[in-house]
Amino acid sequence: MAPRTLPKTDVLIIGGGWTGLTAAYELAHAGQRCVVLERGKQRHTATSFGAPEEHDELKYAHRYEHMVDVKKETLTFRHNRDQQALPMRRLGSFLPGSGLGGAGIHWNGQLWRPLPSDLEMRSHYEERYGKDFIGPDLSIQDWGVTYDELEPHLDFFERICGAAGQAGNLNGEALAGGNVFEGPRSADYPNPPMRQPISNTLFGKAAERMGLNPFPMPSANVTKAYVNPYGAQLHPCTYCGFCERFGCGYYAKADPIICVYDRIKDHENFEIRLNAQVLRIEKSEDGKTATGAIYLDENGEEVFQPADTICMNAYALWNVHLMLVSGLGKPYDPETRTGVVGRNYSYQTVAGVDAFFDDSVKTDPYMGAGALGVVIDDYNGDNFDHSDLGFVGGGYIACKQYHGRPIGYQPVPEGTPKWGAEWKRAVRENYNHHADLVVHGSSVSTPENYLDLDPTWTDAYGRPLLRMTFDFPENDRKMSDYVMQRAMEVAREMDNVTSVSGSNNAAIDSHYDIVPYQTTHNVGGAVIGTDPETSVVNRYGQMWDHHNVFVFGACLFPQNLGYNPTGPLMGLAYWTLEHMKRDYLPNPGPLMDA
Amino acid sequence: MQHAFAARDDRPWAFFTNDEARWMAAVVDVFIPQDEFPAASQAGVVDFIDYQMATAYGAGKGLYLEPPFPDGAVAEQGYQLEFTPAQLLRQGIEQARQLGDFATMDATARADHVEDLSNRDDFIGTLIAELWKLTRQGYFADPIYLGNHDYAGWRMVGFPGAHAYYTERVDEHERSVTPPPRGIAHDRGGSPYPPRAIRGGSD
Repeated sequence: MAPRTLPKTDVLIIGGGWTGLTAAYELAHAGQRCVVLERGKQRHTATSFGAPEEHDELKYAHRYEHMVDVKKETLTFRHNRDQQALPMRRLGSFLPGSGLGGAGIHWNGQLWRPLPSDLEMRSHYEERYGKDFIGPDLSIQDWGVTYDELEPHLDFFERICGAAGQAGNLNGEALAGGNVFEGPRSADYPNPPMRQPISNTLFGKAAERMGLNPFPMPSANVTKAYVNPYGAQLHPCTYCGFCERFGCGYYAKADPIICVYDRIKDHENFEIRLNAQVLRIEKSEDGKTATGAIYLDENGEEVFQPADTICMNAYALWNVHLMLVSGLGKPYDPETRTGVVGRNYSYQTVAGVDAFFDDSVKTDPYMGAGALGVVIDDYNGDNFDHSDLGFVGGGYIACKQYHGRPIGYQPVPEGTPKWGAEWKRAVRENYNHHADLVVHGSSVSTPENYLDLDPTWTDAYGRPLLRMTFDFPENDRKMSDYVMQRAMEVAREMDNVTSVSGSNNAAIDSHYDIVPYQTTHNVGGAVIGTDPETSVVNRYGQMWDHHNVFVFGACLFPQNLGYNPTGPLMGLAYWTLEHMKRDYLPNPGPLMDA
Repeated sequence: MQHAFAARDDRPWAFFTNDEARWMAAVVDVFIPQDEFPAASQAGVVDFIDYQMATAYGAGKGLYLEPPFPDGAVAEQGYQLEFTPAQLLRQGIEQARQLGDFATMDATARADHVEDLSNRDDFIGTLIAELWKLTRQGYFADPIYLGNHDYAGWRMVGFPGAHAYYTERVDEHERSVTPPPRGIAHDRGGSPYPPRAIRGGSD
């Protein structure tokens, strides 16, 4: 039976998270009738995330109540093309969201800007170290948009979130206590930095003694009563320790529901349909434009929603999946190294360093927040000399205290048995005397790490699953090990520390493991750029092949930078929306010549 | 709430047989034995796992179980068995019980036997890994799930629980004592249901 066809709308937005709701806000105010399709359910920060019920570690952190249901949508995974990809049968390494607000309700709120050199990675390294410095097995490329172009948009998103932090570079002027490596800011953070617990403070003191440059982690955990530019009211963080994997019923962690949805939901140009699972995007007969999307409505019936313009605002992986099942753009073929959709998938290298204090330092780890950290950026990006290191990229080192939830937080010194009496004693003795350091590193793209469609398994709607072929590139293993060694040096310098150990998800001689949680920072697969041979969208986020389709989110990143993605991807979102409003909608057509 | 004497009645297991529960108690008490703080079974971990197996998690919520299940998976691809957690426990316990009888073993022999089972390259090894995960969840989850009885796990580490508001304390580095634990349900012990007696004992 042909799907029921609804009246045409101006803009169809697929996904109700940060980028989708923001697109709806900006475009509705620009006079466009917007329909948002969100596959998940209705929920609200006020009614769905209140304490103490939300503070249920089992339900949300280990049963993934806010996350995507793999029974409906998952992917298959393998390390390389010689293996058979097998389904990710349970969530683990990363946790995409579902429902109003998307993954934006259960992020930690670590709100970064890219370094200027991150956005011009290939040209930056070639200029500083020579043409051949980046090896032939890496497909690193420039983003096609510069820091100066994104700066006003990065700044605006910090205002939407009520970001808390300490500027290190205000219009080119260096400020003590901030990140000395950051690009110039046009304005200071809207709110002062977070209050720091003892573990983070001791890390900062040690780093300073070593001549490094510690600063408070930029945070979307708000520190003062604050009203954002859309009129949303936010409240000070309670340091409750239930941030990542949880919604914040205190209105203290910026999320897309309170910061954006509440401010647009009654607008005459705004409509959202929940439980609306998009199946595919339809194309015009000449294939040059998209005509709308077929979705399953809340009754499970197929509906066609026509639209003049389509915004793809699903999570990075699902945007790529939707392109592949809809035949949008040319799929990447690793054999011939041609095509673009699925190309340059990359991830994030995450290593951890545990430092244990003697009894004189009591850390009270349950007082935490998602972005409660002290950071050094001295080994991130190209902030340090790579000449003799044999790798590109880097990562930040943070001492953070984001939770002491006892199922997930059981730090024990190296050599502790895996269970039994000694393990039990070690858990008890170390819970309150531990500093949690993370090395949060970049991940470069390669021709062999990519996304395509699986030949065997399907999702609940009969579509082929996305297939991920990925292992950490040698470059990233070397980088991650190098920066982890630097983190261990700082940990050993910390006062009252009795033992230090490190563990690395991208360790040399290991393989990427999809089981343990690492980060929900899957990037690439539909990358931004200036050359249609190596990018899915032009520098404005517009598909080269279908000019009325705009793409949002971390799928745009040509490789992953050392930072958490939400800040950079929202900077890109506002950049795209500005060009849609100013240049595209008055005169639809390609914004760049192919 | 049931009548005043209901809590004293012998509550039947929701999922386990008595034999399975006895086997479970022996395993989880190898993982977390008694010291100044309760052993896993004394803190209600068997009750917790029983409840999990009888509800959505046991039935495979959050687990993609579409066939095929080909051989040759590498460990980094994660769980590839065709069993729900409840099926894994039922069939796994039955097979594992053929491999040794806890009733004839002292504490050291029990620990060695669980270690041997965990090192197996078959689904018994997967079973032990699953039970270790569930044991930690049961010992430390909110008592509304029937484990962590009387906040055994939270008292052990000093975790104050679900009522959390620390704005004025987080940067006071010379601070007071940890507040006593309070769970989602506010009850003094977190849950009105004490762990069931393990018939025949786990020791």
